[in-house]
Amino acid sequence: MNKLVLFLFAGALLAQDARQIVEESQKLHRSRSQQYEGVLEVYDTKGGKNEKRWQYARIGSYGESRSVLRFLAPPLVKGVALLVHNHPDRASDQWMWTPELNRDRRIALQDRSTRFFGTDFSFEDLEERDVDQSDYKLLGEEALNGQACYKIESVAKKSRTTQYSRVVIWVRKDILLPVQFEMYVKAEVVKRLIHKRVEKVQNVWSTLELEMNDLKKKTRTVMKTEKLKYDVALPEEQFTLQALRRGE
Amino acid sequence: MILLRLISWQYTRKHLLRSLLTIAGIVLGVAVFVGMHTANQSVLTAFTQTVDRIAGATQLQISAGEAGFEEDILERVQNVPEVRVAVPVIEAVMNPQTKSQANILILAVDMTGDRSLRDYALESGDESFIEDPLVFLAQPDSIMITREFAAENDLKSNSELTLNSMDGPKKFIVRGIMKSSGLTTAFGGNLAIMDVYAAQKIFGRGRRFDRIDVAVQEGLDPAAVQVKLEKVLGSGFQVEPPSSRAKQFESLSSVYGMLANITSLFALFIGMFLIYNSFAIAVTQRRSEIGILRALGATRRQIQVLFLAESAVGGLVGAGLGVVLGILIARGIAGSLGQFLGEVYGVAQKAEEVSSDPRLLVGAMVLGVVTSLIAAWIPARNAARVDPVQALQKGRFQLLTAGENRMRRWTAFGLLSFVGVSLAFGHGRLIFYAGYFAAIFAGVLLVPTLGLWLARGMRPALKAIWPVEGTLAADSLIQSPRRTSGAVTALALSVSLIIALGGMTQAAYASIEEWLRVALNPDMYLAPTQNFTDRSFRFPAELASEVEKLPGVRRIQAVRIVRLPMDGEPVMFVALDVSSVTQEARLPIVSGDGPTMYSDAAAGKGVIISDNFALMHNRKRGDVLTIPTPGGPLQMPVLGVVVDFSDQKGSILLDRSVYDKYFKDTSSNVIRIYLQAGVTVGQMRERIAAQAGTRFRYFVFTNEDLRSYILKITDQWFGLTYIQIAVAVLVSILGIVNTLTVSITDRRRELGVLQAVGGLRRQIRGTIWLEAVLIGAIGLILGCGFGAVALYYALETSARDLSGMRLAYGYPFRTVLALIPIILGSAFLASLAPAEAAVRGSLVEALEYE
Repeated sequence: MNKLVLFLFAGALLAQDARQIVEESQKLHRSRSQQYEGVLEVYDTKGGKNEKRWQYARIGSYGESRSVLRFLAPPLVKGVALLVHNHPDRASDQWMWTPELNRDRRIALQDRSTRFFGTDFSFEDLEERDVDQSDYKLLGEEALNGQACYKIESVAKKSRTTQYSRVVIWVRKDILLPVQFEMYVKAEVVKRLIHKRVEKVQNVWSTLELEMNDLKKKTRTVMKTEKLKYDVALPEEQFTLQALRRGE
Repeated sequence: MILLRLISWQYTRKHLLRSLLTIAGIVLGVAVFVGMHTANQSVLTAFTQTVDRIAGATQLQISAGEAGFEEDILERVQNVPEVRVAVPVIEAVMNPQTKSQANILILAVDMTGDRSLRDYALESGDESFIEDPLVFLAQPDSIMITREFAAENDLKSNSELTLNSMDGPKKFIVRGIMKSSGLTTAFGGNLAIMDVYAAQKIFGRGRRFDRIDVAVQEGLDPAAVQVKLEKVLGSGFQVEPPSSRAKQFESLSSVYGMLANITSLFALFIGMFLIYNSFAIAVTQRRSEIGILRALGATRRQIQVLFLAESAVGGLVGAGLGVVLGILIARGIAGSLGQFLGEVYGVAQKAEEVSSDPRLLVGAMVLGVVTSLIAAWIPARNAARVDPVQALQKGRFQLLTAGENRMRRWTAFGLLSFVGVSLAFGHGRLIFYAGYFAAIFAGVLLVPTLGLWLARGMRPALKAIWPVEGTLAADSLIQSPRRTSGAVTALALSVSLIIALGGMTQAAYASIEEWLRVALNPDMYLAPTQNFTDRSFRFPAELASEVEKLPGVRRIQAVRIVRLPMDGEPVMFVALDVSSVTQEARLPIVSGDGPTMYSDAAAGKGVIISDNFALMHNRKRGDVLTIPTPGGPLQMPVLGVVVDFSDQKGSILLDRSVYDKYFKDTSSNVIRIYLQAGVTVGQMRERIAAQAGTRFRYFVFTNEDLRSYILKITDQWFGLTYIQIAVAVLVSILGIVNTLTVSITDRRRELGVLQAVGGLRRQIRGTIWLEAVLIGAIGLILGCGFGAVALYYALETSARDLSGMRLAYGYPFRTVLALIPIILGSAFLASLAPAEAAVRGSLVEALEYE
């Protein structure tokens, strides 16, 4: 039933412009809150693997959410946390908490292009972007892994700070879920983000495994999601700097 | 050129030793000039390289002097749209407990953004796995070191490295080894990177940064962004390109550069008289040769050019040798000079390699040649004026005429009158220095006359003691004053320099010791570093409170010392509880009413400046100073002027409350402790250890320790003076050897006749010995007289342009007493070889001479 509705809905969108596709996609996968445990696997050029586990919690809708990411393992990074306040009209505010130092530090806007703690993600890659922060163009349709997709180009508006010149997004036509991103710096693709495992959780199509490839360094980071729950009751206070400092 | 080869070269070959002695003055002068400047340049280059390499892609650096600033400034800078990257930095030097025992420069940055500015090429080649950035940030014991430092100290990834933090010795884990790159060669490769927030704790910075490194948005002019940032932050902050840090260091060490100039120029000046003397004698000796040349058609101009060319070649050879010797000297002293300047100014650098500036070397060569040409100018002119007929008559010497002597005397009196006028009415720098030079020239012009009078005066006494040798020696000087006047002048100038330096040293020590006695009288000191000038570490305010409460403590003073820019120069600010100081110390007051001045300063109504700051910056009581603070410019009137030798460039005392308020900084560099009666330093040391334990890093110094430390620095500083004295003595000895060598050659016939008519070898030898000692005595007496004047000018120069320190005049009689055996003994030793040459030569040849 759901599939049919989605199919009809997606079909109706065919004639719509790229911005609408993205907007609908965001709406479709919106939830009041979200919680999961994640595993981060960073692979170096020689195939070596470095693994970290964390717990993630988010409240608020896409583009204006607040989230806390707290590392659980290995022991040397346990308790390190990242608080992100996303804003619809500007770049997010991010703070990092280091329990051993017993202090927080603000991640400056200008530092967002740097790598997120040695992974292939940058701090910017972790941000949620409101649909109004970019201009979109439908490049066409293309099959990806046997799935029909919209191929959309996203270029950040001048008011927005970004390291990327443009991003090409593949959005699955059937479920309107983005499944691949290619990030460009000038004319060169520098990163590729692949949504490798997509499943329905609590009736929401969700990505349970992401792979970010740094095409220049030839390294990759795999992010696996476990124990994913939507619309859980999370207190607002959990997403404040004070709570971050308390280690909540 | 042909004449040079056929005549000058032959003469030089024949008198090789004398020629070498002649250019020795140039060699020494140039060597000192090149050596001291190259060593200084090497230290400066090492500092600049460290700054450059550490700066990476940094285009602007924001600081608030040495005071640092609160963290919120970072966000203000990052919010400026023209700023691409702004990264907080703390920089400090530490002595880790490693195999090499070498100091290490800690560069603490925020690694989340710093990679945009600096390239940390990691040894593993893959930062994401072997070197985990999250672990690096999460663990405050993370440190990244260079491959060179790792190899030198047998360290590898995950090795432990112990550093003395503010919280006592702390183990760090090596979580990154950087490959060799521009950055890793900073500070001689002894570089470590750590997280800036961890460093705040380790170095006692609280929530403050030392500076912010900035890169501007692509395509923007850094100068324009600099203006914008200055506007945003206000005048309490310095926004400058990284290169300006080197300029500040250069400004701090400029006193050393000036001293190096004075020493080398003086050496050259003395060397000039050696050359003059040699050429004057050579012209006399070669008068027949000149006569023949003139008779064969050589013009006066050709003769003059011949001698000048000889002098230029001599100068060139001397300067060349001097440059080589200078570089060798620089190699020897660069490391220790770097350490010394680091101790004096608390500036981190590591001078391991000598870097010679080609412009300096060319300049030194030109200086050597020009000095030589100036020295030879008058003898060359006299050579050109030689009458060919008179010159070819055997035995006719051209002597210094009575008219020439009279003219010198009148010129000297004219110059002395000008000196008097300049001292009475001239307060300006130009007239003062014109008077100084006039005094030197007057002295130089009067040397032949005064030397002649002294020789005549000593003759009876010499005759009475040694009838033959004494008379002959005195007569030699009386009859040929031109032959010896150059050496006597060089010696007198050297002695006067020694007297001036000795007097200045004596006055400086007396003043500093008195200042130490009255101003620095706490029983003990607590400092976070072993070196008082190193301000890398700071005590948190709570330590001062804890120490104050210890039983047996009568009073404490938590002192914060920072350098802040004033009039474009870094000036030392000393912030402390003024009311507490007035109850314990009595700084000698130069200007101002003691009680009012101190109570107003304690109430934060103004500042008290040191006498040397007042002199160097032309400030006086009542002037209003604008102090740059992070809270904006602070206008403070000068309440008074006191004698304070805290810093060569002057110091400004302000109340601790004012500093804390405007700089929002409660840390201290040193805690002064006054003990209650009956409590010993040893007891208090134990109580502090029990209270602070290993929670704080601290070093305890007694009053005597601090005195010794300051006097050690003073000793090191005056070590430069001893180099000057050594050069002066060496040049004057060379002068005597040169004069005697020339004198013996010149008098070979006379000495031969003496031997032929029955003169004993012993008598000839004794005559030459006495002549040398007589030259030494005359030079010494004149030098002691000139030295009295030179000391006055040296003290004035020091006060006006070097350190601003007004030192009391006191003639250094002890220096004179020490000089008597040195100069007379050196003169005697200098005469041994020439005397032997005189008595061992062939009598027939001697009689045939001329």
